[in-house]
Amino acid sequence: MIQVNNLSFSYTKQPFISHMTFSVSPGEIFGFLGPSGAGKSTLQKVLTGMLTAYQGSAMVNGVECRKRTKRFYEDIGVDFEFSTMYEKLTARENLRFFASLYEKKPRPIDELLEMVGLERDGDKRVSQYSKGMKARLNFIRALLHDPALLCLDEPTNGLDPTNSRMMKDMILAQKARGKTILLTTHNMQDAAELCDRVAFIVGGRICALDSPHNLIMSKGAATVTYTWLEDGEHSASCPLDRLSADGKLKKLISENRLQSIHSSEPTLNDIFMEITGRTLL
Amino acid sequence: MRLRSLVLWDIRFQTRYGFYFLYAVLTAIYVAILSAVPESWREKAAAILIFSDPASMGLFFMGAIVLLEKSQRTPWALAVSPVRAAEYIAAKVMSLSAISLVVAAVLTAAAGVDAGANAGAYGSVGAGAFGSVDSYIVLLGTVLSSAVFTLLGIIIATRISSLNQFILWTVPVELVCFVPAILHLFRVGSPLADSMAANPRGPVQICMQTCTQTCTPGSSSAAAAAAWLRYYPASVCMEMVSGQVPSPIGILMVMALIGVLFVAAKYCVLNMWGRMGGGKL
Repeated sequence: MIQVNNLSFSYTKQPFISHMTFSVSPGEIFGFLGPSGAGKSTLQKVLTGMLTAYQGSAMVNGVECRKRTKRFYEDIGVDFEFSTMYEKLTARENLRFFASLYEKKPRPIDELLEMVGLERDGDKRVSQYSKGMKARLNFIRALLHDPALLCLDEPTNGLDPTNSRMMKDMILAQKARGKTILLTTHNMQDAAELCDRVAFIVGGRICALDSPHNLIMSKGAATVTYTWLEDGEHSASCPLDRLSADGKLKKLISENRLQSIHSSEPTLNDIFMEITGRTLL
Repeated sequence: MRLRSLVLWDIRFQTRYGFYFLYAVLTAIYVAILSAVPESWREKAAAILIFSDPASMGLFFMGAIVLLEKSQRTPWALAVSPVRAAEYIAAKVMSLSAISLVVAAVLTAAAGVDAGANAGAYGSVGAGAFGSVDSYIVLLGTVLSSAVFTLLGIIIATRISSLNQFILWTVPVELVCFVPAILHLFRVGSPLADSMAANPRGPVQICMQTCTQTCTPGSSSAAAAAAWLRYYPASVCMEMVSGQVPSPIGILMVMALIGVLFVAAKYCVLNMWGRMGGGKL
């Protein structure tokens, strides 16, 4: 679906994106993670055909982005972090307007509204919507023309846990329908839960690219921490893959003296910090 | 098909934002003003009213429309849709021209022009001053003026971020467009003005005579400037709005200007979309 090869871009003489190479397969959820100014926005502008003066190659849906025509957008849906709706129009009117811009037959508006629980609010003006409702409406605007590629920008940002869960379920439902999804988020939990693979981007370069699970496992083995009572409470830890070599643990197990035992894995955020030396927030 | 949809939705947005209501009120006020002025002033008053408001409304309203769209971030969504910049601009020009045309038609009728008449009441003075009058010419002049001013409005509005900036930018445009056109309407510096002044028919002629005597006391350079002013696009538009058939060179100048402004507006819209589209990630 997406093939980026040795991509470089610069706004000035200094390179802003340097020699990026990656590919995204159809049906995959691919996450971009990185601090502000890392180059994620620029990368998305290149992939959506907004910036064409780049070096290297960026192919989306078999089209070189610098050579894209307006037909290119018939198969791309972009969900921005902020509402991009006409506030004085109703949700239904907004969807009818945006649907009229595409040659493809739009998905039924009522069905989309029902999918995100807005069926009873479709005739309300968007200015009357809450942030969560606007986020859901924005999301279905990106789905109107049933695109093969979805670019989602911070889809759960600012949403309450219920709306956030609903949004993540909708994203997973799109993946189940075979859509390819580019996701940018600062939320490591979302990335770990949703993405098949993530790319850590810092300073215009990809610092790491793999599945969240592999990134976590490759950089920090899980550890087991256990506690026992012996003149007060004591605790010790050992790597999960060296558990059998821990004589103290074996002894405590054989004597049934363990107070507690649990394993812990580094989070994606820990891995990001370890690899890039930066935090996302 | 998409252009038709964009035009219809633009008209709907303008209706929702009260443009049509506002112009209904303004038109009623203008008609009241026209009916109050002496008959001999009426055609000049109508020409100035049409040129300075319905014909040039695009200059002022594009600032409001584009700033409103920017504040609602709808250009972000349009930038990643199949809409071409040319379609976006054409829709704005057509939708605003529609209001201009309706208001101008009402004012033309109120000033007493019969459609197709070559020298009606509206043209009674104009016939002496500018030659034959045709309400179709007035309406065509309104549409061409509206296109020029709307394109200028788009060029300015896409480059600014506040209403104050927009107002500041419109001042030089107004000076360049309005002053020569109004001077031309009153034949300031024109050799013809002498003959017109010799045939006083009312206050307008007295005014013109005064202007003529003040500005061109036999100055051939001023007369030459006035002759060139005849081909100045704003003057040509004013000529048409005042009901006079323009010279072919004049029409050519206006069409060339519209072409140049359209290309410039397209560049500005693409620039605006490039700055916005793709989202801030």
